Amino acid sequence: MMQYLVILLDDTSVAYCHCDNPHRERRLMPPETLRDGIRYAMTHNLMIQFVYPDYDLPQDYLDAIDTIDHHDIVPFPRQGDVAVAENSKLKIENSAGAVVVLRMKKAELFVSGDTVAALLRQVQRLNIVITDLDTFTDADLVPYGALLDRWAALLKEEYLAGRTPQLNLLTDRMMLTAPNHCNAGVENLTLAPNGRFYLCPAFYYTASEESVDPEDIPNQQLLRLDHAPLCRRCDAYHCRRCVWLNQRTTLDANTPSHEQCAVAHTERNASRRLLAAIREKAQFMPEVDIKEINYIDPFDIRKDF
Amino acid sequence: MNLKSIGDAWQSGMAKNITFIVTKDCQLACKYCYLVGKNVKERMSWDTAKAFIDYVLAREDDFREESVVWDFIGGEPFLEIELIDRICDYLKLRMFELGHHWFDSYRFSFSTNGINYHTPEVQRFIEKNREHLSIGITIDGTERKHDLNRVWKQATPDENGIIHPSDRGSYKDVVKNIPLWLKQFPDAGTKVTISSPDIPYIRESVMHLYGLGIHQVNINVVFEDVWQEGDDARFEEQLMLLADEIIDGGWYQDYACSFFSEHIGKPLDPVRDNQNWCGAGRMLSVDAAGNLYPCTRFAQYSLRSKKALVIGNIRDGINPNLLRPFLTLDRTTQSPQKCLDCEVASGCAWCQGENYDAAQTNTVYQRATAICLMHKARVRANNYYWNKLYRKLELEGRREEFERNKRSVEHQTC
Ligand code: SF4
Ligand code: SF4
Repeated sequence: MMQYLVILLDDTSVAYCHCDNPHRERRLMPPETLRDGIRYAMTHNLMIQFVYPDYDLPQDYLDAIDTIDHHDIVPFPRQGDVAVAENSKLKIENSAGAVVVLRMKKAELFVSGDTVAALLRQVQRLNIVITDLDTFTDADLVPYGALLDRWAALLKEEYLAGRTPQLNLLTDRMMLTAPNHCNAGVENLTLAPNGRFYLCPAFYYTASEESVDPEDIPNQQLLRLDHAPLCRRCDAYHCRRCVWLNQRTTLDANTPSHEQCAVAHTERNASRRLLAAIREKAQFMPEVDIKEINYIDPFDIRKDF
Repeated sequence: MNLKSIGDAWQSGMAKNITFIVTKDCQLACKYCYLVGKNVKERMSWDTAKAFIDYVLAREDDFREESVVWDFIGGEPFLEIELIDRICDYLKLRMFELGHHWFDSYRFSFSTNGINYHTPEVQRFIEKNREHLSIGITIDGTERKHDLNRVWKQATPDENGIIHPSDRGSYKDVVKNIPLWLKQFPDAGTKVTISSPDIPYIRESVMHLYGLGIHQVNINVVFEDVWQEGDDARFEEQLMLLADEIIDGGWYQDYACSFFSEHIGKPLDPVRDNQNWCGAGRMLSVDAAGNLYPCTRFAQYSLRSKKALVIGNIRDGINPNLLRPFLTLDRTTQSPQKCLDCEVASGCAWCQGENYDAAQTNTVYQRATAICLMHKARVRANNYYWNKLYRKLELEGRREEFERNKRSVEHQTC
């Protein structure tokens, strides 16, 4: 069931997920589109997530936004429910208590050990989004696992000290007993500045001709978990199961690439080690069970399904 | 015709199908031909063929199937008999030199319109490769039925190189080669494709093919959305007439028509019967440009409304991510609810290429069901056939004997 409406207030609204925003020219959503979007959300019981550009909006926009309960996704260091930073622009001292999305390429990720460690001591929650996930090789998974273990050691100390910072790559799986995917096109839709609906911002950025009718999304069942043959049997519950990445890498929205699965399983397995390490010292999340497995890609065991 | 369809148990199901699209040219321009983009321009070069063979044979670990069927299609493959001869010689040589496990278990397979079958070049090739060959000639039935669709192309293609049909039928040019073909391949079958205008000719066509000495007629209705109102009733009527003639004339003992099968028309279990129907993704095709496809139906010349689904090329190899949707396909995920609830679902086929072409989005996971009413009509006629046949056999006390000796008919989709 649809639950959220993402509204991109401007063509330059901050990208907060896997796909970069290619737009460089400002194009503010027309006020009547904004009003229609808010009205649509109200009439369909949707929670709105407004996505902001890096400049101040006119007052009448702020007034309109205030007419409905919502969340704000803003470019760092602006203030909002979620602040999105590119690695190079992040100032750690400004992040105390915040929910931060940190978007990085693989190369940046591998040298971000200290930055992330420092952030984890500050933020309430850190979401690391890798923007070139499809470039991961199997050889990259070993250093990636080691990097996660390093952050896990720090998180373990924090948790044992009674603080609970969250890092999506490690703590989400530890807390989840069921999948928590992105569910674009099933639980959320995006309204773009051009007044059209998209499955998510990435589809607007890369295929703006592929808008959808929210009342009749073609092949919507293929966006659902029960129609994803690999994901429906998978317990990397924290994985985003990004249908945009799926479409781009395998040409089918319901099938993930090897890279998406292998990266998510490296995180899953690191979460398992973290959970075990915490449990050595304290009772923790007894209802969660992350089993030991011998694969990093559910595709490799599909015969056993 | 592919190997599965000739009633030959040879390594059935364990073979890799690898297809060379050697040319997109053909002498004919059949009106139902799914190859919407046939043209005279795209012929495979020797360099492309060789590079493809080298690519495949160098990856024995990636292609573990026990056997291989090297398939040659077109257009009309025998237009490129010289190239094919060279390819086959090279395949044999390299499989031997590399000690490849396929050297002990390979076939060359052809689907031809039969027009060049008698030529010295083709006959020399057959002589040389006889032990490893299966050849299917497509003949659609009686002369009037065959010539309804299988016509010669116009002498000159249009300015885009696209071939258009003429008025001249090809029956006489094909039928003259049938005796030679059956002499060389007595167990061979033929493939018949039924579209809406062909329905009135089904009975006479199958009987005609039996009369020519063809024991196995593999026949199916096209998957495309071509059907008119009332076609299902007309189809059922034709199949009942055919059933009567086969049974009353005693043809059922030595001849088989794939329309009649004891295994169709039952409900399917969502867990036990959840396999995909066709082998797309487990097969591999290469075209003249060196592009690789999960099946030939995904090449551009076979598609009406979608872009070709290229999974790689002979230089960079196969992108394994692009095979993942195919290798995880199952029946229930791609089928609409009506098919999951269907009381007569078994034997109702689909073609992944047509599914892709007809889908609302870019996916191989949306099953096209244009054949729905036709399948249901087939099931009714099929029930009639077996009820009538078994009653007759029981009355004659010959049912057990029949069960022991009956020809197996395997499903075939394309
Ligand atoms: S790890 Fe792979 S199979 Fe599992 S949910 Fe993520 S994309 Fe799907
Ligand atoms: S297409 Fe029609 S006949 Fe075939 S399985 Fe679906 S509902 Fe049954």
